[in-house]
Amino acid sequence: MNSQPEESPVLRVERLGKRYATDGTFALEDVTFDVREGELLAVVGPSGCGKTTLLRILCGLTKPTAGAVLLDGRPIVGPPREVSLVFQDYSRSLFPWLTVLRNVMFPLRGSGLSKEGKIAQAEAVLREMGLNDVGTKYPWQLSGGMQQRVAIARALVSHPEVLVLDEPFASVDALTRAELQDVLLRVHSTREGRAATVVHVTHDIDEAVYLADRVLVLSPPPGRVVDTIGVGLPRPREQTSTRSSAEFLTVRNEIHTLIASENALRSSLSADR
Amino acid sequence: MTRRALLGLRSPLLAIAGVLAALIAWQLWAERSDPFYVPTTTEIFGAAWSLWRDPDFLSDAAESLERLAAGFLIGSAIGIGVGLLMGSSSRVRRALEPLVDLLRSTPPIAIAPALLIIAGFGNGMRVPLIAFGVCFPVLLNTVDGVRAVSSEVRDTASMLHIGRLDRTVRIYFPAALPSIVTGLRIAISVALVLVVVAEFVGEGGGLGGYLEVAAARSEFPEVYACILFLGLIGYVLNRFFVLVERHLLAWHYGAVGEQPA
Amino acid sequence: MNAERARYAGERVNVSGWLVVVLVALAAELAIPGLNLEDTVARPSQALTTLVSELRAGPLRDEIGATLSAYLQGLAIAIAVGVVAGVAIGSSRTLLETSSGVIEFLRPVPAVALIPLATYAMGFDTEMRRFLVAYAAVWPILFNTLYGVRGVDRMLYDVARTSGASRLGVLVRVTLPASLPSIATGIRISASLALLVCVTVEYWTQTAGLGAYMHEQYGAIRYDEVYAAVLLTALIGYVVNVVLRSTERRALFWVGEERRAA
Repeated sequence: MNSQPEESPVLRVERLGKRYATDGTFALEDVTFDVREGELLAVVGPSGCGKTTLLRILCGLTKPTAGAVLLDGRPIVGPPREVSLVFQDYSRSLFPWLTVLRNVMFPLRGSGLSKEGKIAQAEAVLREMGLNDVGTKYPWQLSGGMQQRVAIARALVSHPEVLVLDEPFASVDALTRAELQDVLLRVHSTREGRAATVVHVTHDIDEAVYLADRVLVLSPPPGRVVDTIGVGLPRPREQTSTRSSAEFLTVRNEIHTLIASENALRSSLSADR
Repeated sequence: MTRRALLGLRSPLLAIAGVLAALIAWQLWAERSDPFYVPTTTEIFGAAWSLWRDPDFLSDAAESLERLAAGFLIGSAIGIGVGLLMGSSSRVRRALEPLVDLLRSTPPIAIAPALLIIAGFGNGMRVPLIAFGVCFPVLLNTVDGVRAVSSEVRDTASMLHIGRLDRTVRIYFPAALPSIVTGLRIAISVALVLVVVAEFVGEGGGLGGYLEVAAARSEFPEVYACILFLGLIGYVLNRFFVLVERHLLAWHYGAVGEQPA
Repeated sequence: MNAERARYAGERVNVSGWLVVVLVALAAELAIPGLNLEDTVARPSQALTTLVSELRAGPLRDEIGATLSAYLQGLAIAIAVGVVAGVAIGSSRTLLETSSGVIEFLRPVPAVALIPLATYAMGFDTEMRRFLVAYAAVWPILFNTLYGVRGVDRMLYDVARTSGASRLGVLVRVTLPASLPSIATGIRISASLALLVCVTVEYWTQTAGLGAYMHEQYGAIRYDEVYAAVLLTALIGYVVNVVLRSTERRALFWVGEERRAA
């Protein structure tokens, strides 16, 4: 790991709670954790545990009913400019009436750059994603994997401090998923300091362990932090060698066990009612 | 709407045959039946041909089309503008909903006499009447279009810190465009109906006026011919919109994998 | 459960919206004398009181009846003819292709253009009004029925046939219900179009009904009465719309999404 615990974290989540107004149930309860500078933090948990709600709060799209999120020590009020979000459904987040290049350029409006400057910046990040000649195409003309790369490119073009991804690889096939995981790893490794900070929400435990420096495990609803597991695997990571290593299996099994026991605990609690 | 896809017409031959059969049937029936108000097909087409070459008739047609265009443009502008506003803000939508509901269920003819009182018999009455009828289908479809914008697009707009106006114009408007164009297609046929109504109620002029006069003079082939011309105008306008749709919304059809009707 | 019911009730009564309506009426009430428009525009209160007194007096009630009877009868005919024809044409490929040319050309003809002609053919009585209303209303219903029938999932037919249903049975028990959402849209469009045509015919021919009443009052320079009629027609249109919407919602509770057009 390349971050020191003594440094102040990029994001600090303190006793976060989110309660639904409609029926009073809690999506999240008393969630506290840090996102350290330059780390790739994965968030896992069963469905309905509030992962997406947590993400939305981190991005300033939803307000918590309890607790706060601090970005660089200041509480978040509305979507922070330093945070970029990649959605799971790329087909609904990319603008179908704009070409790929214009989609990626879009966040640069109001940045003060000249048109040529914006084009250059957008093309640079597209190249980084391995998309070389698709600028004039429309998103829906590309495959799912390529569309998601465009979405990631759009999120990166304005040099965010924190890149947040909401189950970004859930809608693609397994082979593409592996490719995209490596794309994300490359993004993480080619950046330094704050710019390398990533929060990755997924339901796929293997993916979480493969990608992350630390894995945050959430419980079934109402979502609480079960534990934060450090992933000490060396970088750079590789699909076959890393995933078959003994340490990988250890961490992965640890997380599986955690979640399974949480599930068991919850069902015994509800059975008692 | 994927009309052609649904109808799946195999060849135009049967359709043409159907039209010919209808025309011949009409001819035969008209020849044998008595009513003076039923001219034969040949008479109708003959009248249509001479009207087509008559500059007075053509200027009547131009007059009607001008009114139609004016009313359509004004009504659409209002419909889109208010629709975008209502679509993007649920507070505004709830506030304006009953008012819009009341107004849209008012048959435009109802406001015609009021317009006559206020603006007299000329275009001051006709164009607002058409605009009134045009604006509501456009408004409703615009609202639907904006509301249908996906949550991902909305969230992206929030996170990119796009100002209110910018967001409406650069994101909600293009996203809602397919729905808006559907509304415009409906509105253009409403506009055609209202041009005729306006010309009947107003001081005449245009094709509606010609129709009245020809009927009063019992020039029945001309009456039918004029009606056919009106239908033809309606058909051409509709096809025009299909073309507009195809070009403007090429991205939409690509994205959803359909073909426009 | 309670939260759900509360939310539903909140949806029903749109306080802010109706407040806006009242405010607009109030604004008009004050602005009209303020801007010296009293000669041309009636104040809402005046229109309302005139309406009430006219309704009490009697003749207006007859006119309402005349309009409604021609309107509803014409609409009923249009529904019957439109649905039957739409189902027939939609179910037979040959019929569809043959009639498509004729239908495509008849469809854009505005029904109001037939008014002068219809007066020759049918005189000036209810039959003429009813015919024009029906003619105008039949096209949206026919087309929407047609699309509805064509759009029915083929699988539903196969299920019905293999369960032993006859052709007529399939028609009534599968085709019709599956096409109902489209048909409902067609009826909604037709309902407003038909009311427009009805009152326009009445206005132009000065025969009977609200349109004739409007024309008469206008000619007699009784502007308050004209505005009262405007208000009345708007209210009738609104009631028709509300009734249609709630019937649709109840009959089509099983449909996922509703699309609104005109």
